[in-house]
Amino acid sequence: MQQLSNLIIPLIILFIICYGLIKRVAVYEEFIAGAKDGFGIAINIIPYLVAMLFAIAIFRASGALEFLLVLLSPLANFLGFPAEVISMGIIRPLTGSGSIGVLAELINTHGEESIIVKIAAVMFGATETTLYVLAVYFGAIKINNTSYAVQAGLIADFAGFVAAILVTFWYFS
Amino acid sequence: MLNKIWAGLIIIGIVFALAQDINDEIHNTHQNGVAQTFDFSIINQNTRTQIILLVNQHKLNARIENEQRIIINLDRQSPENFIKLAELNGNKNRLQASIVSKTDQQLSLLLPELHWQKLRVLTQAAFDMAEFAVKLALGLVGIIALWLGLMQIAEKSGLIKQMVKVVQPLLHWLFPNIPKNHPAFGSISLNMAANVLGLGNAATPLGIKAMQQLQQLNPDKNKASDEMCMFLALNTSSVQLLPPVTLIALMGTQVADLLVPIILATSCSTITAVIVAKVYARRSQHKNFSSKN
Repeated sequence: MQQLSNLIIPLIILFIICYGLIKRVAVYEEFIAGAKDGFGIAINIIPYLVAMLFAIAIFRASGALEFLLVLLSPLANFLGFPAEVISMGIIRPLTGSGSIGVLAELINTHGEESIIVKIAAVMFGATETTLYVLAVYFGAIKINNTSYAVQAGLIADFAGFVAAILVTFWYFS
Repeated sequence: MLNKIWAGLIIIGIVFALAQDINDEIHNTHQNGVAQTFDFSIINQNTRTQIILLVNQHKLNARIENEQRIIINLDRQSPENFIKLAELNGNKNRLQASIVSKTDQQLSLLLPELHWQKLRVLTQAAFDMAEFAVKLALGLVGIIALWLGLMQIAEKSGLIKQMVKVVQPLLHWLFPNIPKNHPAFGSISLNMAANVLGLGNAATPLGIKAMQQLQQLNPDKNKASDEMCMFLALNTSSVQLLPPVTLIALMGTQVADLLVPIILATSCSTITAVIVAKVYARRSQHKNFSSKN
């Protein structure tokens, strides 16, 4: 399976270029015409990304997350799942590098075989860094009013979080 | 909603750090102005200035500069609070302290004072991240340009048109407001295909291309359309069959065992994303309809 993704990009590029040549497209010229927007788009994204990343950095550096975990752990115990995975649930939509850090830490303390690490890894794999995706995609087209996109994204993340716990328990029992 | 989340992150962060710092000041947690006594031994009998300082089982090399001043050398294994202090004073490998009193075996030291430590760390993190955000965005220039170039060829050659015909029936239900045979269907399906295969590098530029096309169709250029929200929801819930590369890097072959649970969980989040986006879209249409009447 993994080999497939190594193979697929060069093949797609080959296919697009060859199809273009067959259809008598001026491939080089059209490539340039399309690619010239790349810089402008990246520049558009900057303010959106700065706003998002700096707010998340402040939240993470303050240690409020650890405090939140202490508050939420009785709830986790009551519902019968390990409280440690809550940190992954909260950090996952906020930052990609942060959630990798959380996962690495959980592996360090609990070991790869533990159910905690398995749940956290499934959460990591099953959802995306919602706020980053939001900043990049809406930043690229300069949209400030994101309507209900955040709600939809975060509710989906929450569903992924719950599903990761239930599915992992069911699958490994 | 985003306004509230954004402000919430900043306010919670700063207020929380401030509360901790005030607590530290009141209880003098960092022992500012309190002399601490450590054992030491002399390395070089001739000069008597090179010493080894014993700090909670750590042996630290230090040099006595004069009667009042000592410089402690630190490395990664040194006690954490020493490293933190040194970092905040400019050089994480050297910590300066003043000598209060000295006997043959013991040194009484006054370490540099530490105030508002949480807030300082937080400010630094905020500035660092702002800088990193720019690097991150500029790092996307090349890859966005590459895929936009390829997409331009694919559009001109009619490849996208062919694709749209195939995927249109499937995607029409999710994106009812995209006109028939519109190239946006092509970009959206390519973005989803890249996501499914875990090709993050290709997925983002293709997604941006799709967003641009959706923006052309958007009646209100300042506000996200229903189509965009649906597309975002699909992207953030990450439909994927292959685990992300970062997960493989962390867990190695272990990931193979997790494949089935990941696919099941991600399906749940994706289905939820579609339902939620559809419900919101219906509600906003209803609102528009009633306001027109």
